[in-house]
Order: sequence, then C-alpha cells, then structure tokens
Amino acid sequence: MATLLKIWPLMGRRILGNPAACLACKSARTASGSSDQPEVELFVNDIPVSVPPGTTVLQACAEVGVQIPRFCYHDRLSIAGNCRMCLVEVEKSAKPVASCAMPVMKGMRVKTDSEIARKAREGVMEFLLMNHPLDCPICDQGGECDLQDQSMVFGSDRSRFVDMDHEGKRAVEDKDIGPLVKTIMTRCIQCTRCVRFANEIAGVEEIGTTGRGSDMQIGTYVEKLFGSELSGNIIDICPVGALTSKPYAFTARPWENRKTESIDVMDALGSNIIVATREGSVIRILPRLHEDINEEWLSDRSRFAYDGLKRQRLVSPMVKDASGTLVSCEWEDAFFTILDRLTGVTGSEIAAIAGGHADAESLIVLKDLLNRLGSEALCTEEIFPMDAAGTDLRSNYLLNTQISGIEEAEVVLLVGTNPRYEAPLLNARIRKSWLHNDLTVGVIGPQLDLTYEYDHLGDSTKVLQELAAGTHPFNKVLSSTKRAMIIVGSAVLQRADGGAIHAAMSTLAQNHRVKSGCDESWRVLNVLQRVASQVAALDLGYKAGVQVVRDNPPKVLYLLGADEQTVTKADLPSDCFVVYQGCHGDAGASMADVVLPGAAYTEKVGTYVNTEGRAQQTQVAVTPPGMAREDWKIIRALSEIVGQTLPYDNLNEVRRRLAQMSPNLTRYGDVEEANYFKQAEELAKSVKSSLASDALTPPQLSLKDFYMVDSISRASQTMAHCVAAVTKAEAK
Amino acid sequence: MASFVAALRQTCRFAAGRVPLRCFSATPNVCSDIKLMAPGGGLDTPTVEVPEQEDFSSISGIPSTQLESRHVRIFVPARNPMQSGTYGTRTWRMEFDTQQRWENPLMGWSSTGDPLSNMTLDFNSKEDAIVFCEKNGWQYHVEERNWPKRKIKSYGDNFSWNKRTRVSSK
Amino acid sequence: MASRLIRQSQGATKIVKQILSTDKAEARRRVLNLYKAWYRQIPYVVLNYEIPGVTVKDGRVKLREMFMKNKHVTDLRAIDFLVIRGQMELVETVNIWKQKNHIMTWFKDTWNPKPADFLSKFYEGN
Repeated sequence: MATLLKIWPLMGRRILGNPAACLACKSARTASGSSDQPEVELFVNDIPVSVPPGTTVLQACAEVGVQIPRFCYHDRLSIAGNCRMCLVEVEKSAKPVASCAMPVMKGMRVKTDSEIARKAREGVMEFLLMNHPLDCPICDQGGECDLQDQSMVFGSDRSRFVDMDHEGKRAVEDKDIGPLVKTIMTRCIQCTRCVRFANEIAGVEEIGTTGRGSDMQIGTYVEKLFGSELSGNIIDICPVGALTSKPYAFTARPWENRKTESIDVMDALGSNIIVATREGSVIRILPRLHEDINEEWLSDRSRFAYDGLKRQRLVSPMVKDASGTLVSCEWEDAFFTILDRLTGVTGSEIAAIAGGHADAESLIVLKDLLNRLGSEALCTEEIFPMDAAGTDLRSNYLLNTQISGIEEAEVVLLVGTNPRYEAPLLNARIRKSWLHNDLTVGVIGPQLDLTYEYDHLGDSTKVLQELAAGTHPFNKVLSSTKRAMIIVGSAVLQRADGGAIHAAMSTLAQNHRVKSGCDESWRVLNVLQRVASQVAALDLGYKAGVQVVRDNPPKVLYLLGADEQTVTKADLPSDCFVVYQGCHGDAGASMADVVLPGAAYTEKVGTYVNTEGRAQQTQVAVTPPGMAREDWKIIRALSEIVGQTLPYDNLNEVRRRLAQMSPNLTRYGDVEEANYFKQAEELAKSVKSSLASDALTPPQLSLKDFYMVDSISRASQTMAHCVAAVTKAEAK
Repeated sequence: MASFVAALRQTCRFAAGRVPLRCFSATPNVCSDIKLMAPGGGLDTPTVEVPEQEDFSSISGIPSTQLESRHVRIFVPARNPMQSGTYGTRTWRMEFDTQQRWENPLMGWSSTGDPLSNMTLDFNSKEDAIVFCEKNGWQYHVEERNWPKRKIKSYGDNFSWNKRTRVSSK
Repeated sequence: MASRLIRQSQGATKIVKQILSTDKAEARRRVLNLYKAWYRQIPYVVLNYEIPGVTVKDGRVKLREMFMKNKHVTDLRAIDFLVIRGQMELVETVNIWKQKNHIMTWFKDTWNPKPADFLSKFYEGN
C-alpha cells in the first residue's frame, strides 16, 4: 500500500500531464537500454522520467509523450544536429540546448515549452523560411510536410524578409538523380537526412553536400543516377518537398487518399506496407513500421511497381477459340470449357503449378480440389531440393534466425546469394549490423558490391566441402563465435546439386552448433527464399519444382499465377489443356487455353508466410478489376462446376481449413519456429548427389536485374524506366 | 379526377372521423411511465441486471446484410512515414473491409455503394473496440500494434576513431 | 480468429441503469401489451392503408413474425428499447403519419433479393 501511495501521485501527474502517457510508458518498457546500468532520472516539463544513460534529451521527452519538433533528427539515422529546430531550455544552462544530440544528465530539468524554447524555435523557423519557396500549393509534400506543419505551430505571423534589392530568395538548380526521385532543390533545408540515409543505410556513398552557408547544396556533385535499390526511402525521410516521388508527382493530396495497411509480396520478406488508394486504384505504396521485418524502409520494387497493377491486367475470363485466339467470355463459359476437358481425364493426368504470388488460401483450395479429382501433382515454380528431409522439415527452408537475428549475430556467411537484390531490406539489416555491431561477413559466390566489406571465400563448391570438413580458414572465424549465421540463397539450391549444397551447409551449421556450444535457441542454418508464396506452399505440402510435371506430362495443367516459364508448351504434350489463373497477362496466360482472371495482392485478403515463417495477411485496398475475382473463390466455384464442391463458402471457413493443415498459417504476426536441425542434418547425410564444379552464382547480379522479376513488376512502366536509366548509367 | 379526389376525401373523413379515435383510446401506451432521469443518475436510480455481454444488433437498425457479411479490422494506424509526428498513432481504430469503389462518370468523383465505407471509429484501447464490435454483432480481427524500438545513439559516434560509424562524408 | 473473444464470458451479468422495466416479468408484460395493441389495430390498418393483397390474417401473421424476430433478445434494456420503438411505430401507423409504401415494405423488400448460394454470388460479383 505504501508503494502504491508513493507511485500514485506520479502516475496521476503523468496521465494528467499528457494524454499520450500510456504510449510513453509502453515504449519505455520496450526501450533497449543496457539494463545493468542504473537509469538516469530527469524532469521534462516537471514530469519525472527515468531513462538509460546515453539516451538523448529528445528521446527522453518522447518517453513522456512530448514530441520535440525536428527536421534533421531521424530515429534510424545518425545524429547530425544541424537544423537546430529541437532546441529546448535546460535549467542552469546558459543557452538553449539541441535536444537531439544532448545526452541526458541526472536531475536535468528540461523545459520544452518555455519562453526561451519557443523563441529559439521561432528564430530557427524564420531562418528556414527565409530561403524556402512559398510554393506549397504546387508542392507534392503539401499536407504531409514537416516544415509546413511546424511553421503553422512555431512560425512567426509576419515576415522580416523584405528583399529590398530584389535579390530574390536562394534558388538552386534541380538535379536529375533517376526516374524515381524528383528533386526540387530550392525547397531543400539542408537537414542532410538523405545524405545520411545514402551513406549509412543504403551504403551508396553518392549523395553529399558541397559548398558552405547559403551556397550549400545537396547532390551527387557530378550529375548521376542515385543507384540504390532503396532510393525511394529518401522521399519519405525528406521533411520538405525537396525529394518527392516522380511516379506520384501531382497525382493526389494525402488527405484524399484512403490508406490500407497491408503486406508486400514483391520479395519473400513480407514487408509491411501502407497502400494508398483513390477512386479505386492504387496510387502510392509506403512502408509501415515493423521492427522485425522492414523497420521503416521499403525496397524500390515494392514501392514503385504499383503502376504494374493497372497494366496488362486480365479483366475477364477468356477461352481459346478454333483459330487459337483467346476470346473474352462469361465465367460460366470458361468453367464449362474446363469441365468439358476434365471429363474423361483421370486424376493422375491433372497437374498444377503455383507461382510466386499465390496466397495460402488459393493454394489450399487448389490442393483440395486436385486431391478430390485424384491428383497429387501439385508443385511450386520455385525449385527446392527434395532429397533427404527435403521440405518435410520446416527448418530446412526457413530463415530460421529471423531477420532481426542478424543484429544479434557476430558472423554471417552468405552462400550463393546476393541479398542486396534478392531481399534489399535483409541486406540493409546486414549493413546495419556491420556498421554498428562490427559484424563479420563472409561471402561464397561472385564478388559483388553488397554495400559492406566482407571476406570473399571464392565462388567454387570446393569451399563448401572445405567448410563442411572444417579445414577452411574461415572455420576459425566461425568457431570464434557463438552467434553465427549461414544464409543460403534459394537460387543456388535450384541447381542439380542443390541437395548436396544444402547438405553441406546443414552439416556445417550443425557442427557449428555442437562445437561452439551456442544457445539451444540460436539457429545457424538459414535459407533466403525469393518469392512470397514459397514457404506457405511448402507448409501446405506442395512439391517444390516442376519436375513432377516434366516426368508425367499431364493432360490438364492448372497454372496458379505461374509466369516464370518453368514449364513451356514445348515440355507438354500437344493435346495438353492449360488453364491459367492469375492477375496479369504474362507468360502463363499466353500459353493457356482458358484464362481465369484473379486478384493481385492489393485486391484480396490473402495469407502470406515470409521467409522467416511469419504468417501475415494482405488487406483489400481496391476491388479486383472487371470480372476478376479473389483467387480462392475462383477455384471454389470451379469445384462446384466439376461436381466436387469444396466444403467452404467463406474466408473464415477456408482459414479453418488452413489451420487444420498447418496451424501456423493463421497465427498472424507470429513466427512459427522450426527446430529439427539435428534430424535434418542426419537425413542430409543420405543425399546422393555430389557437388558440381560450377561457380555458385545467384541470378541477380546488378541493379538492372533487380527491377523486373515478376508479372507485376514486368508490367510496370516505372520499373522499365529504372532498367533503362541503370542501363544508360552503366554505359557511360 | 374529381371523383378520385372525392373518394379520397371520403376515405380520409372516414379514417379521421371514426377509426383513429376509436383505436387511439384502445391503444394502451406501454411506455407511459418513462421518467426523465437526472443527468448522471443518482444513487437512487433504479437499476436492472442484464447479461454482461451486450448485444444490441437487434436494436441498432443496421440491416442484417451489413451485419453478417462485413468484417471489422481493429488496429493502430501506422505513422505516416512521410512525416515525423506520432500523434496519429495514439488510438485504436476500427475500419470495415473495403468494398467496390468507382469513378462517377459525370464528375469523376469517387462513388461507392457501401454505407459503412466511411465509418471509422477511434478507441482508447483495443478492448473498447472489441466490446463495441461484439455489441453490434460484427466479425472482427485485431492487429497487434508494432512498437518502435528505441536505441541509444550518440553524436560522438560520428567522430569515433575505431568504429565503422565514423562519418567520412557530409 | 480473434472474434468471440469476450463471448466466452457468457452467463455473467452486470447491473446497469434501467430504461423501463425492472424485471423480466414486467418486460414481458410490456411486450404482450404492445402485441395486443397492434393485434387489435390491424383490421383498421388494413382498412386505412388498403395494401393490395394483404388481409387481416396476413397482417397478424406478419405481426407475429416481426415480434418473433427478436425473441432471442434477453437484455432488459434492449427489450424496452424495442417496445418503445414498436409503440412509436404503432402511433405513427394509427395517425396515418406513415404512407402506404411504409407499410408495404414490411411485406415485401424494395430491393431485389441477393443470391445466397456461393456460385450465384460468385457470378454476380464481389
């Protein structure tokens, strides 16, 4: 009771002092401070707050829900301290203090809303606005501009900028830094967030400052492309309208947009996104906070490929006529054409291939339908070695350590992968850990610019053998740590000797786990998948790779968004009947006899499991165009036509079926861990194939290869512009 | 026409003259004992025992088609990544699933046939939002909020001589 | 799904401010009174509004149906609320504040029925 009495008035004041107090308490708990040191107590506007030593005044204020105005400070970038907007008054300090750079001290009394603080901010604001153009009405940042908002609160109501000699405001020439980011450099307030982002996060040291004082400019010095796969993020972090999105230019105002919080499927990470829509079309995609996946960044493909959602779309069912042309028709016609061809075909003559964007719901419905028709030939486009344990043990195909595990790791070994283009945000994590935690990185594969330094161990499979045997010099590096990660790219596992590569890495990982005496919960072996649907498909028991289809050429082939041409007309008998279901008229639709228009990832509620094994769901931002329908509904409707009505009518029932097959698929947000490394390693010994001598080369080597990898990004004009720009820049 | 009006008048007179009077007196007012309660109520306010789980779907007036087929999402809106402010992320929001929207051919405005498309409500806690949905008989799911991690950083890191955080360019 | 999280605590009760009735018996009496009032009024409603094809018997069947639609309601406040609303409807009907079409919508929806089975819903659209 006594403690309660002691705490109570404090709590009371907190809550009274600020409505965001509950928010503040929670984030205080999640703050990752070193807990061995005693916390420092200080007072923000007379509200006491305890924070770990080393915290800045600005962060301490945020703990009690007092947001300090800022331009240059960004939570995920280094501290610059050059905008001076965050000035606060500290008692017994002669001058106002830049709170973003000032560490807290015991008993400090911070005043964020005193006369001095307000005057300081007004002064800073006046200097900033002196050289800032008054073009808010034509500025794309208008409505979500920090400078606009803060000038409303802290700006003076009159101007001392008289310009008697008609010298004009500071004007700076715009720069062309590529097809994604539009620059209007006159609006720049030199916060240097973009410079720090390029240097620290993207690892592309191409943006910097030149000149001093009012002649200072941000730019690339010689005009060139900002060649980063993360370049779109500088649009977000720019607090003014100096860097805006080129594809989104003059499209909409932020208050007109509807925002839907969803999941990205352009790579296997499942980045969290906000899909902004207006009038039934997607007009912008922004990142959404998720500390364990994408932090607050987004790769350029995920961010800018959205214009592909409006092009090359399949909007009505189509059936091939006598002359071999696909002709639009009604749903009934398409279904009954399929029914005609299915009658008389035995189950073993039907097969299905699932592409990289298929959601778990349509995967399970398709599997149930084909199983009822008597077929077991369901496979994914992405190959994964099926030798030994294959896909039976989940730990074999997951990024077991999780993306955030990279920050705890001390050594990372990349095998046959180019994370920079296969999973840009995973690469950004590795760079973050390399920068802040002195991570050691080893690479087996070609020597590429990964934005951090690494030990290059060569690109031959001999290195794998040596590592597995423990005779390679890098084994010493590995054995010196208890926190090692091996990340194997899914691309090299698709070679003929993929099984042997997986077995060798599995052995290495298991040996390391046993010898280093690392924590039982620390996983070493990781597989980096490249497509969003793969983990869910394997969880549901799809066979990886289309070998099944090649071995037993089917009479009816069902393509569920399979556009990578893993099976072409040449691989199939001439009388094979191909049904394509998907959202884009790409390779799959062009070889089909019947086309069923499906929904893209922004148009359906779908479950996707990312490469860590984390189930997440997309949300409907817009409805499917024309006669297109949600994918699982198409297959469910077809099942009724062919007389094998599946026992679910709505999403909840499909989800229940999903949970029956694999409960982790409906535990949204959680990572379902897998932990049978020992068994997997033992089974791996039975792998028959041996390592081939070809070099371990991932398919995406340069920035050019990054932009167009799936049917949506191939349909995107923006992505085509990017490829053209990079090609031009490389030619120079 | 004239005969029709006459007939109507006849009916009206008949209705006004006889029936309503007769039936009005026969209609007991079942709610005649409604009392105006003092605002806030006092200790003596009469109370009743009701099920803890309230279900007002029968009296909310929302058509059953909108009750059965709609799905509510309860979540904390993410911070706009284009800005620094976090004021928009304090409260829990409920939002209905997106239905079809189209461009009006006349003016180019955005149209929808969905009566609930603009009904977003903010709550102080997710429990409040859940109770509200249960009370109204909507299906819902809750998306847990993602908290940002704070990390200790120092201005001095830019100038440290033995760390990779040293800034070479400005 | 997270739905029905709180539903589990069924059976628990709480004390709230009353609207009209203090107990179940009283609420029941109010409902029956309202029902009787409506029952007696129906011949006059049919006479006044002249709904084509609706007889007094049809009206009484509809009355019963509309009362039975809410038979699952147990919350005393909800019952009272429904009674108040029913009383308001009655007064509006008696005073001819309603028009013919208001009565007609009780017997037939003004919109086309939506398909119920999966396939028809699929063909129709989202």
